[in-house]
Amino acid sequence: MHSATTGFLLSDVPSRTPEHPSTEAQLSQLFGSYKAEWLSEQLFDLFTEPEYWPELTTNRPCMLEGGRGTGKTTVLRVLSYEGQYAVMGRGRESVRNLPFVGLYSRVDTNRVRAFSGPEVTPGVWTKIFAHYLNLSMVLQCLVFAEWYQLRAGDSPLLTASACDEIALTLNLREADTQAELLSGVRQALLTLESQVNNIGETLPDGLSMQKAPVDVLVGHLATAIPRTPFFFLFDEYENFDEYQQRVVNTLIKHSGDTYSFKIGVREMGLRTRSTLNSDEQLVSPADYVRISIAEKLHGDDFRSFAARVCDSRLALIETSDGTGTTSINALLPELSEDAEAELLGGRGLVEAALSDRASALTAQELDAFRAHRLRDQLTVVQWTDYHNEPLDPAVREMLAGSPTWRHRSNNYGYALLFTLRRGRGQGGTQKYYSGWDVLASMAAGNIRYVLELVEQSVLLHLRSGAVYPSPVDPATQTRAAQAVGRKNLTELEGLSVHGAQLTRLVLGLGRIFELFARAPLGHTPEINEFELGDARDGDGDDLEARETSDLLRSAVMHLALLRNPATKLSLSPSDTRDFDYRLHPIFSAAFGFSHRGKRKMQLSDAEVMGLVKSPRTTLPEIVKRHRGAEISNASEPLPDQLRLFESYFRER
Amino acid sequence: MLASPSQTNSASSRATSVNANFVEFTDVFADLAAFTPAANSVYIYGTTPEARSAHSAAWEAKSSGVSFVRQVSHERWSAVFDAPAGPTNLELRNATSLSQFWAQFGGRTTYLDITGLGHHVWAPLLRTASRTIDDLRVVYVEPVDYSRSDAPTEGEIFDLSEKIGGIAPIPGFASLSMIPGDDFHLVVLLGFEGTRFSYLLENVQPPGGQVTPIVGVPGFKPQYPFYAYQGNKSPLLDSQAWKTVRYVTANCPFSAYSLLEAIADSTKLPLKIAPIGTKPHSLGAVLYAIRMGASVELVYDHPIRTARRTVGSSRALVYRVSALLTRNLNAP
Repeated sequence: MHSATTGFLLSDVPSRTPEHPSTEAQLSQLFGSYKAEWLSEQLFDLFTEPEYWPELTTNRPCMLEGGRGTGKTTVLRVLSYEGQYAVMGRGRESVRNLPFVGLYSRVDTNRVRAFSGPEVTPGVWTKIFAHYLNLSMVLQCLVFAEWYQLRAGDSPLLTASACDEIALTLNLREADTQAELLSGVRQALLTLESQVNNIGETLPDGLSMQKAPVDVLVGHLATAIPRTPFFFLFDEYENFDEYQQRVVNTLIKHSGDTYSFKIGVREMGLRTRSTLNSDEQLVSPADYVRISIAEKLHGDDFRSFAARVCDSRLALIETSDGTGTTSINALLPELSEDAEAELLGGRGLVEAALSDRASALTAQELDAFRAHRLRDQLTVVQWTDYHNEPLDPAVREMLAGSPTWRHRSNNYGYALLFTLRRGRGQGGTQKYYSGWDVLASMAAGNIRYVLELVEQSVLLHLRSGAVYPSPVDPATQTRAAQAVGRKNLTELEGLSVHGAQLTRLVLGLGRIFELFARAPLGHTPEINEFELGDARDGDGDDLEARETSDLLRSAVMHLALLRNPATKLSLSPSDTRDFDYRLHPIFSAAFGFSHRGKRKMQLSDAEVMGLVKSPRTTLPEIVKRHRGAEISNASEPLPDQLRLFESYFRER
Repeated sequence: MLASPSQTNSASSRATSVNANFVEFTDVFADLAAFTPAANSVYIYGTTPEARSAHSAAWEAKSSGVSFVRQVSHERWSAVFDAPAGPTNLELRNATSLSQFWAQFGGRTTYLDITGLGHHVWAPLLRTASRTIDDLRVVYVEPVDYSRSDAPTEGEIFDLSEKIGGIAPIPGFASLSMIPGDDFHLVVLLGFEGTRFSYLLENVQPPGGQVTPIVGVPGFKPQYPFYAYQGNKSPLLDSQAWKTVRYVTANCPFSAYSLLEAIADSTKLPLKIAPIGTKPHSLGAVLYAIRMGASVELVYDHPIRTARRTVGSSRALVYRVSALLTRNLNAP
């Protein structure tokens, strides 16, 4: 057993019995297996069609672009023939009625990195890689042909002459049957493996012409299964080297009527739009449909999609007493700002201020003031206290309906929730993150995060003695959100070769936004974004700007940051200066800043890199520049859940 | 399955932690000064800023008739050695280049000291040595301890690697012929750095339930298995792989080899093996990959090592790998 309070996510709950698993075990199975590769066949049963699904099923090449955990793999796997077969009921007729044949493969870094090195020229590597791609794609088609024959109970899809023709295009020995051709392709891969492993000694021979074998093979398959387009589904396209993307881009550019490509790629993972022809670029929408998951699924659309995903899984949970199912909205009730202010002690703060500072207010005025929303009361009390203004006139202005106070309350009311427990030690909840809308918003379009948040909330709830499907209280939801944020922060380091830098960047930005959140009055509230200042001229700046750009690119690819175009006119996807960057809201509860995307500050390249390289000097400088002496890294205790990272922030 | 050899040797001492089944394959020298390379042998080694790679100089000083061949520099795909005939640039994927390197030592007992060499250098050397060298012995010197991190998190108790270089094939071990797809089993030989395990899981993406972590038990030190758990806690929990952890002696490559055989036998799936733990375990994994060929894929993350990642030198272990390699490679 592991507790979220000690920093580890709850998981792995033992089943009651194999036949009647406990609610916790069912929950972990349905929500805890949030990686597509863990679900196996269950992935297809749990699939919920996203809004953009129809676009993917057309014959046009598509680039499905989204961060880790946004559901690319799930969607591509459901597009595969195994996925469609499962979705259609796994019968013989399902095989014959496949709407398309999707051939899924994940770009495996350990394989594609073999095709580089100083032993041969880049041009030779391109030819070798193109041959490998031919063999791999042909192999996928042949494995499908065997599968089809077996499931449909038909004769082989490829005739003897077709097999022979395909073998010729691959420079293989004659093949009379599918099985012989399959064996020949496997043998050719073994040969290529040996040649690549001895690349300095000999150059591979018998290389095939790019695309030719695939054209011939799919042509024959399309004759055997008419009106069934073939899709090559490449997942994790970012794992290809740049030259390798050029090779595949060429295939995409020239894909014909019989087959097409559906590509899963992380944001900024498309390294180049070039093809092998220097005059040709891959252009959207002329050559392919770009589907950005973040653009397709955000706000209400994402909440609605995520709720359908969660509700369909919750409906599968069987309780021993048959208490029935629930909805995600009912399971994770929201907490209004006023209710949250009450829980955080806002009422006491108001009453103390009225007692200490309201000298001439009548009982009627006091009653009228107390009848207002607690958020409005807090705004008046805290604002006047910060600006050292008398309380009575402010209360009267507010009661008179002053638009100034309405505006201030709208502007600072939510932000003040982060300040109510400031300086009260580190126990208890400092700020709540509660309610389906809030948790879905923290996931920011990432379905994996949604599943993690729901699983952890309900597991913590059950561990506290509650019974499913009773609603999860706000404190428990908050603890789950903190645990999920911290877990993903800890995991950042293992995500990429820039992992350690990304962790430090998130720690630095998170702490800055947390400190800003604790002292919003007199400043712009709810800052959790930044933009890069103008690139400066001078020594070393180009290098620094490139370094920053690489870091930000990696941060976006691995969901440390989200990015949005700074203006509608500035849309060069590769220029990091054209974007605003927001610390991913999944980290908001772990640090204690607003999960809402609101306002930004400006950071220089040196400051961004400073948070990575020299945080103990850079972080206080940034805070001081924005908040003066009001608050500092040294004066504010770290949230409990960040103690593990204390050495990043503090001098030892 | 790998069985104990019947041969005997004349090691000066035996360590109780070496698996008793394979003790005949391993000579253990509790005192580094007790070891002297055999007369007329060849000793191939590399040095790093670590104290434990400095022993070669002491051994060279007291040896006679032994050719010491030092690695001068290395890149991802090549390495330069100071051979008797002069500096030799080895293309690590070029079997001819490597075989010619070995050929100059033909007939002599050869030591390959992997303590100060990177995986990307010693593994391809081992692969080609098995074809040329009749009596190949692999040397490894255990550290007294590992450097601890100033800023430890769950995955960073020890300050062993500056960063991960990225997954790429070890030269000569690229695997292209395994059918792409979900049908494989990932075996991870664990060290202390959970970040590396997390990185592997993220990149290899094994199917659910198809991960076997291996922890070195007994460890070089009694407390090391606990450090391994502490460092790898997060990925072990997240992947649920803690349920399937296997244990094998940390300094015994033959035990690791044998366990890999057993895992392959029980899963009936092709193995992807990530040797990110002790070097003796990595040696076992590489020997197994050499033996099994296309049905095994090595997955390695090429860490950039921290300059002084270990403290001191403890025992020296000399593994007699030729008997194993020759017998298995020649097996029908």
